Amino acid sequence: MYYLKISPTPLDVHALYEKLKDPQYGGIVTFVGTVRQWTGDIETQTIDYSAYPEMAEKQLNKLAAPIEAKGARVVIAHRVGHLDLTDEAVFVGVAAAHRAEAFEWCQYLIDTLKTEVPIWKRETDTDAVRWGD
Amino acid sequence: MQVTIKLFAMLGEQLGATVKLDLPAAPTAADIKPALQTAYPAVRQLLATARLAVNQEFVEDDAQPISATDEIALIPPVSGG
Repeated sequence: MYYLKISPTPLDVHALYEKLKDPQYGGIVTFVGTVRQWTGDIETQTIDYSAYPEMAEKQLNKLAAPIEAKGARVVIAHRVGHLDLTDEAVFVGVAAAHRAEAFEWCQYLIDTLKTEVPIWKRETDTDAVRWGD
Repeated sequence: MQVTIKLFAMLGEQLGATVKLDLPAAPTAADIKPALQTAYPAVRQLLATARLAVNQEFVEDDAQPISATDEIALIPPVSGG
């Protein structure tokens, strides 16, 4: 598995992207999730992310393995800890021979991460503290 | 048999990071949530929406046997990304 990490330190997006580069690939798709201020009328100030890190990394491995078995490269990093507005919460990158599969697999990975990987956000909003969404 | 259950997110905030739980002899995965709901009725609904994990894998089969050395966790609805 190329690189999967639950990270207590800020994500270095450029360094994560560099891990995807290789002469065998012609398309790299990356998704970066960041802390958004407004969700409808709710104003978010900060988000604290927590995880069950050992299981989270196992789950990420399970998601990435079938994609890497097809010859692509997967790089995923998710922050834990205290994040401010605009901070990077998650990086998902897929490098593949051609763009179509890179787009498809990147979308699949972020969508599945959001339902199958034990990571939780605790939002501090201006009116309340909220778990998850 | 006594087991230790790891708790996370809103469940961990309310009950602590781990709780000890007494189970009947030869327990299965299906015994865990009802026993927790009996012990902690205030978080009955939160427990109902959580998924069970044993040895860092989501449980797919309620009949899975549980042993005292298993790493057991309750996973509230996740919200990463």
